[in-house]
This record gives sequence, C-alpha cells and structure tokens, in this order.
Amino acid sequence: MSALFNRELKKGSAELLVLCFLEARPRHGYEIGKLIETHSNKRIQFRVGSLYPILCRLEQRGLISGRWVEKPGERRRRYYRITIEGRRVLCRQRTAWEEFVATINQLLSTKYA
Amino acid sequence: MPDWLRYVRDHLSLVGCPATREAEIVEELADQLEDAYQEALRLGLSDQEACLAASDHVSDWAKLAEDLRRAGFLRPQTGPKDPSSLLNRKRPTFSVELNNQFAGAYKSSIAAITSNVCQDLHYGLRVLAKNPGFGLMAVLTLAVGVGANTAIFSFVNTILIRPLPYPNADRLAIILAGQGNANRAPVSTFELFHIREQTRELDQIAGIWVTDATLPGEGDAEQVKRGVVTSNFLPLLCPKPQLGRFFRPEDEDRQQDDKHARAIILSHGVWVRRFASDPGIIGRSVRIGHGSGVVIGVLPASFRLIFPNDASVPSNVEYFDTIPVDASDPGGPEFLHLIGRLRRGSNLARAQGEGNATAAHLRSLDSKIALANFRISIFSLQADDVREVRTSLVLLFGGVAFVLLIACANVANLVMARAVRRVGETAIRAAVGASRGRLVRQLLTESFLLGLIGGAVALGIGWAAVRAILAARPPSLTNFGEIHLDWRGFAFTLAVAVSTSVLSGLVSAFSLRSLHLTRGLKDASRPVGWRGYSGPRVLVAAEVALAFMLLLGAGLLVRTFVNILHTDPGFRAIDVATFRVTAASYQALEQLQKNLLAFPGVQTVSAVSHLPLDDTGNWYDYYWKEGAPADQQNTVMADHRSTLPGYFSSIGATLVEGRDFTESDDASHQHVVIVDDVLAKELWPGATAIGQKLNISDSPGGPYQFQRDWAVVVGVVRHVQCHSLTAFVRPQIYVPYPVAPRPSMSFVIRTRVAIPELGVIVRREVAVVNKNLAVTHLESLSAVVVRAQAESRFVSLLATLLSVIALLLACVGIYGVLSCSIAQRTHEIGVRMAIGAGRSRVMTMILTDGLSPVLVGLTGGFTVSSFVTHLFTRLLFRVHPGDPANYALIVFILILVSALAAFLPARRATKVDPVAALRSE
Repeated sequence: MSALFNRELKKGSAELLVLCFLEARPRHGYEIGKLIETHSNKRIQFRVGSLYPILCRLEQRGLISGRWVEKPGERRRRYYRITIEGRRVLCRQRTAWEEFVATINQLLSTKYA
Repeated sequence: MPDWLRYVRDHLSLVGCPATREAEIVEELADQLEDAYQEALRLGLSDQEACLAASDHVSDWAKLAEDLRRAGFLRPQTGPKDPSSLLNRKRPTFSVELNNQFAGAYKSSIAAITSNVCQDLHYGLRVLAKNPGFGLMAVLTLAVGVGANTAIFSFVNTILIRPLPYPNADRLAIILAGQGNANRAPVSTFELFHIREQTRELDQIAGIWVTDATLPGEGDAEQVKRGVVTSNFLPLLCPKPQLGRFFRPEDEDRQQDDKHARAIILSHGVWVRRFASDPGIIGRSVRIGHGSGVVIGVLPASFRLIFPNDASVPSNVEYFDTIPVDASDPGGPEFLHLIGRLRRGSNLARAQGEGNATAAHLRSLDSKIALANFRISIFSLQADDVREVRTSLVLLFGGVAFVLLIACANVANLVMARAVRRVGETAIRAAVGASRGRLVRQLLTESFLLGLIGGAVALGIGWAAVRAILAARPPSLTNFGEIHLDWRGFAFTLAVAVSTSVLSGLVSAFSLRSLHLTRGLKDASRPVGWRGYSGPRVLVAAEVALAFMLLLGAGLLVRTFVNILHTDPGFRAIDVATFRVTAASYQALEQLQKNLLAFPGVQTVSAVSHLPLDDTGNWYDYYWKEGAPADQQNTVMADHRSTLPGYFSSIGATLVEGRDFTESDDASHQHVVIVDDVLAKELWPGATAIGQKLNISDSPGGPYQFQRDWAVVVGVVRHVQCHSLTAFVRPQIYVPYPVAPRPSMSFVIRTRVAIPELGVIVRREVAVVNKNLAVTHLESLSAVVVRAQAESRFVSLLATLLSVIALLLACVGIYGVLSCSIAQRTHEIGVRMAIGAGRSRVMTMILTDGLSPVLVGLTGGFTVSSFVTHLFTRLLFRVHPGDPANYALIVFILILVSALAAFLPARRATKVDPVAALRSE
C-alpha cells in the first residue's frame, strides 16, 4: 500500500476527518492538521493551503463554527467547534463510511474466479 | 522571526473579498504558518529551513485564493445553515454518494457568483487599463458604429416606423385625383361631394386647402398660413381642441352668410403669440385678413399637420376656417387635398377599388373630367408622407449598418489579436490551475465589458449625432415633429455591440480548445501572431467590401450634389433679394415697384405670385390651345404664375421669344399670356407659340373668382425650376397680375444692396404704401436656392461622413492585422534578411500579404454593389448608378488608403535587425 493515500481518497474523506477531530472539543486549524497526520502515522497529511479552504467551506455550510479566542500572553487564534448540524452529518457520514468500507472489504476479501 | 502576516498579505489576492473578512483570513493563515514554522524549529531545523518548510504549506497561492472564493469567503456563515440536502436522505450509499453530498454543498451561492463576476470584471478592467491603446481603439470603434446607428435609427423610427400622431393613424388615407398628365392633383368640392356620396369603405372624408392670410392684430401685421377645411377635417386628426370646439356642419353654411362673422379655430402658436394665451378668447371676434372671425376653438400645442411635401399643406397653419361642400358646380376650382379614414375592417385595396368605381361615376356626371380620364388614387397617409424621404433614410440606415458591421469586424479583429497575444498568459493561468471554463468566462467577461463601455460612449456620440443631424436636416424632414435619441434603438444597437464583442470573445475562447500548455508557455516570452488564422483576413476583406459599397454610394451622392450645384434652374439667383406681401391691391403693388426702383443700386423690381423653390401653396390648372378637340382639353396641366412687368429680367430668366408684359396688359385689353418653352413645344411643336391662342383660367374680377378665358401668347420663356432644382413637375404659364390678382405676391429685386439695409428701405416703403401690409420672407434668392439644395447636401454629407468613417475603420483593421502579423513574423523576416533578402523584397512581401484581403474585399464589394446601386437611382441627378468613373475612383482611393495603412507596418518590418531577430528566438 502506498505510504500516502491516493489523492482522491483523501479528498473524499477530508471533511469527514475534520468533523471527526472536532467532535470531542474545539481546536484550531493547524492542530487539526497535525492530529490527522499523527493519528494516521503520517499517511494522511494536510498542508495549511489544503486544509484551510476545507475549514472555510464547512463553516460556510454551518457544520462547524469558528471564533477568535484570546489568552493572556498568547496571540489570538481561531478555534473551530462542531455544530449540532455538524454532529448529525458526521454521524450519518460515519455510518455511511463504515458501510462503504465493510462492503469494499467484503468485496476485496473474496477471490473471484 | 518572519513576518507571516506580511508574507500572506503579499501572496494572497482576494479580489472582491470584504476588507474585514480578508484581514481575518490573512491573520488565520499567518497564524497557522507561524505554528508550522515554530514546529520546524522545534524539530531542529535552522531558521531558514523552518521558513521554507512553513512556506511550503502553501505552494499555490492562486489556487488557495480560488478555493477560498469557491468556499464562499464573502459571507461566512455564523449560524447553523440548513443542510437539508444532506439530512433528508435516509440511506446514503457509499463514497460516491458521500462525494456527491459534499459536492452538492459546493454549488455556488449567489454570493459566490457575485464574487466571481466582481472578480472577473475587476480583472477585465485591469487588463483594459494595462492596454489603454487596445481599450481606447476598441471602445471608440464600437462607440462610433453604435452611436451613428442609434442616431440614424432615431430618425428612421420617428419618420418611417412610428405611427403619425393622429387618432387611428393606421386607418388614415390620402385621396388624390388624377386628370390628364397630372397624377397627384387636388379635387373640387363637387368631386368631394360625390366621393362622399359613393364611399362605403371610408367612414370620413375631409379636405383642406392652405393659402396665405394676414393677421393685422395690435403689433406688426403678420403673414400666416390659413387652412380652409371641411368641418370634419380637424376632428379626424385631433382628439379634442385645447379650448372651445371644432367646426360643425352648420359652420360651413355660416361662412357663406355675410351677416355673420366666420367661425375660426386658432393654432396654439398663434393663440400664445398674438393673443397672449388668453383663455377668454373663445367667442371673441378678431380681425383676420380683410374681415373678421369669431374664435370658436384653439388647437393643442402638440397638433401639427403632416402632409406630403407636394400637397402644399405645410405644418405651420396658424388658423382654420371652413368651406361648404358644394355639389352645384362641376367646373369649380380644384384645390382641396383630401384625407379619409378607413372603416374598421376595411383596407386600402378595397378603398382603391371603390375609388375606381367612384371615378367612373364622376366621369359619367361630367364630360369634361371624363375627357381628362379622371381617376382616384388612395394611399396610406403615412406611406405617402414619407414617400420622398424613405429612400434617403433607408439608404442612410443601410450605410450606418455597414459602418456598424465594419466596427464590429474591427473589434472582433482586435479582441482576437489580443487573445492570440495572450496565449502565453492564458497558458500560465491554466498551468497554475485555472480551469478551461474559468478562462473562457474571463475572456467573455472582458468582451462584455468592452461592449458595455463602448455602448456607454456610444450614447454620448449618438446624442451629439442626433443634435448635429437635427441642425442640418432638410425641410423635408422637419414636418415629422420631435426627433430624439431613441432608447429602444440604443438598446437594440447596444445589444448588437455587446453581442458582437462577446461573439469575438467566444471565437477567441474557442481557440483555447487547442491550447497547448507547453507551447503556450514557451511562446509567452515573445509576441504571438495569428499566422494560420484566417479569421482576421476574412474580416478585413469584409470590411473593405463594405467600405467599398459605402464609398460607392457616397461618391454617387456627392456627384449628384455637385451636379445640383451646377445645374441651371432657369434663373440667376445671385444679387436678387425677395420679400413677400399679402393682400395688397394692384395700385399698392405698382406704387411699391416704382418707389423701390427709385433707390440707388436697385436695377429692376417686379413681383410674382409664386417664387421659384418657395413654399407658397402652388396654383395649377388645365390649359388647351385654340382648336383643340374636346378630348385634348383638360389634359395638359401647367403651373400658373401671376406677375408684374419686369419679372423675367429681375429674376434673370431667359426670354426665348416675344416680349415681357407691359403696364397696358390688363383686363381691358386683349388678355395675354407668356408660356415656358416646355409648354410651347408640347402645344405647338415645330411652330412658334407667339400669337397663338391659349385657353387659360384667370380671375380679373379678383382672387378666387376664376373664369376660363382665351389669351394670346406674347412671349416664351425658358422653363424655371419651381418645385425643386432637379425634378421637372409641369410646365408654367405667366399671366399679368391685373387679369389674375393673387392674395400674396413675392417681390424680386435685382440689386447689390445688402439684405439688412434693403430690409429697412423695404419696410419703410411698404408702410408708406399701406401700413397694414406685412413684409415677410425677406431674404436673398440665393438663400432660397441653398434651402432647395438642403436635402441633397444633407444626404451626401451624411453619406460622405459615413464612408470616411468606414474607410478609417477599414484602415485600422488592415493596419492592425498587418502589425500583428509582422510582430509574429519578426523571426522569419530576420532569417530571410540574414540569407540575403533585401529590404525592398521584404517590403513587397509584407505589402502583398496586407493587400491580398483588400483585393478580395474589392472584388466582393464590386460584385455586390453591382446588384444594389440601382437603389440609389431616385436620389441621383445626372449621374448613372453604374458610372465607371465612380467605380474607378473608389477602387483607386481604397487601394491607395489601404496601401498607406499597410505601408507603416511594412516599413517597420524592413527595419528588423536580423541578428536581434534571430537572438530573440
């Protein structure tokens, strides 16, 4: 298997992954990218130039919402949290993805004559 | 430590994004790059390596900007958005569905579309600003074509298309009589009575006759036009009077009754000017002419008479009175011009059929008109009104359409040339991720912008052109009321301009189909021409063909105008002054003639009832020689002029034979007449007219008291052009004033005294003779002639102007195509010169290259024009539409001017340095 996943596969799953990493708590943009990279053993990497438009798009569609947070001694940063609609979409997409993967696995596990 | 904010700001261009939103995006991206930079430092990279690692996070800023634009950065959504498209589905199916769901959400919102359009427009403006030469040339070319078209369309729309400003204008018809050699003659009240009796297809028939009258009033006496109408005439053309009422049938009888004052209706102009807009004017008795009239109504300001020019019904009639329709006198004078209104559901063909039957009925009633083959013609009033100007206007409209086509071809050339030059830029944009659709959209937006700006400038040009044309328009175009910039016309031509511009953009966009990235990028460093593209050359050939046809038409019209300037109208207008008096007695006229003759510098003085080329209502009748059989009477019609002695020498007409009138030629002696050479040849071919007897219509008892009489021909004079400088209408006879007195006479004074000085003398002398006489139309006879030349001058001037514009535009096209071709062939020229080609050979090569589409265009223009020049025939005077000299001249001009346009780029080509050209490769 390729070290880095196919670009199309990554493209199809990017928004699902972002929603997934925002499910637990709000995070800022760079943190989301690093988490995906770390948890995928660097097999899925998002550069700032690729991830940022995805965040904008999700926010535009109301699935996540961002707000600027200022902390003492630190520069202000924009944190994103998942919205209620975002959770519903995530739930459905996760189910769909699992079914999709199971189906593909099932298909791939069989040797066809 | 790097300034990431500045770094992002320098690299990211978010055109159309609100400033606050853009600042947020820049800040957030800078924040993330800072995170990446700090992480790289933590991993042990040097500062420089960390910077590179962070900046590597965004490798394509243009793509990022595009992605952000697609994400809808204009309006960030803060609240939850209805993702119903995602939630309504019960069971999504796998990854395709997943992708589709996300893709569905990508659909551009209105904000995104607006943003796209704004960005494209902004970019288009920047491109135009970067190439001001191209922008200016394209906009001006388009603006000239559209502006000229709009101006002429405004005239065409007002005069030819818009209905006349009358109720049921589409049902109004003009009814003309024909007798003998006259086809557009007026009718008598007797004939009107019977036409009314017979008609079923027309629900109203009314008549008018216009003559001159004097308004003595309180200030200076004023000569005005008087409309003598049937009582139903005004209601036919005007919905309601501004004050009072229209005539009623009983008013016709009242005119006959001397005990009562005549009922009159005033025009709005005379009511304002002479009666200070007095609302109490209705019922008041006012002095008019030698009598008085009771004002029963005032017409609205918008009312104007629009009749064919040869009907002698001018638009500025100042007051109206009525006449009875008398059926008792079949031989009564024929002076009424008739109009009628078709019944609903009827049409002109049926009305004409009925008119033929009525004419036959009238012929059966009166043997005189039967012998003259009396006939009736019925035409649409609107069609007949524009009969004389239609050809000029249609041809001019065709001319401006040609100019627009040439302008459009030029713009298409310019847009295509620019697109080809921008192949490199386009390739770069495609290489950095711009989709083909995106590139096409940008090209089309730029073309649209060009069309829009060109249209806006054209509005100004069109407005100015309408004003200029209005100032120069001939009298034949002044009857049709207000003419202004027509917005529908402007919208139409603007649409054409924008469509053409966009079409040119589409052609350029089509060429992107075969865009080869590598080759395009390679070519980006040097100008790219359109060798191999046939489009521009075809367009240049088309431009030349159109310019050829325009120049040909203009050449014919200019030669017509020159011929008109040099035509002999039968009189010499130089050093002749003229003025008009109305309602003067014979004694007063004689006295005035003597008094004026006494002034130093005055050579001769006389007077005539109808000055040549003047607007006085014409008088004409039938005449026959002694011994003419009954069927040859009432067949020869001639214009009838009443004169004082000395008229022919005053006006410079040539007396061919016989003598002029003398003071003894009056009613108490043998009645005498002078005829023109045309009538003399028609009635007495091969014999002298002097001493022959002619049956004429005169009125020794006073104006309008007509009677038939035998008169002896005492002189033959050369024919004088009375109606126009070019058209022969009918012959003329001249009768001494005492046997044919007229209500209005024009004096002609041969003198070198300037008009203003003469005016003082004339007014003083007229007041001495009769202080109630009005002096009007004081001007030189040359001014009258210049007025008569106005239509030809107007048409030839406009045609010349249009053809010069067309020629210039065609030159711009040739120059542009050659310039671009040479820019592309610099390397080839360099190679040719390096291997020994001389400058003259290069020059010949380029000139041949440039002039080949010109020759194709000339051939095309020549072929097409041989089919269309006959359309000019009606406008031409003493020049044949297929005149070979005209063709030769136009071909010569076009080749010369095209060669000049090609010469500049060709000369530039010969200056190419072979070494530099080869090195540039």
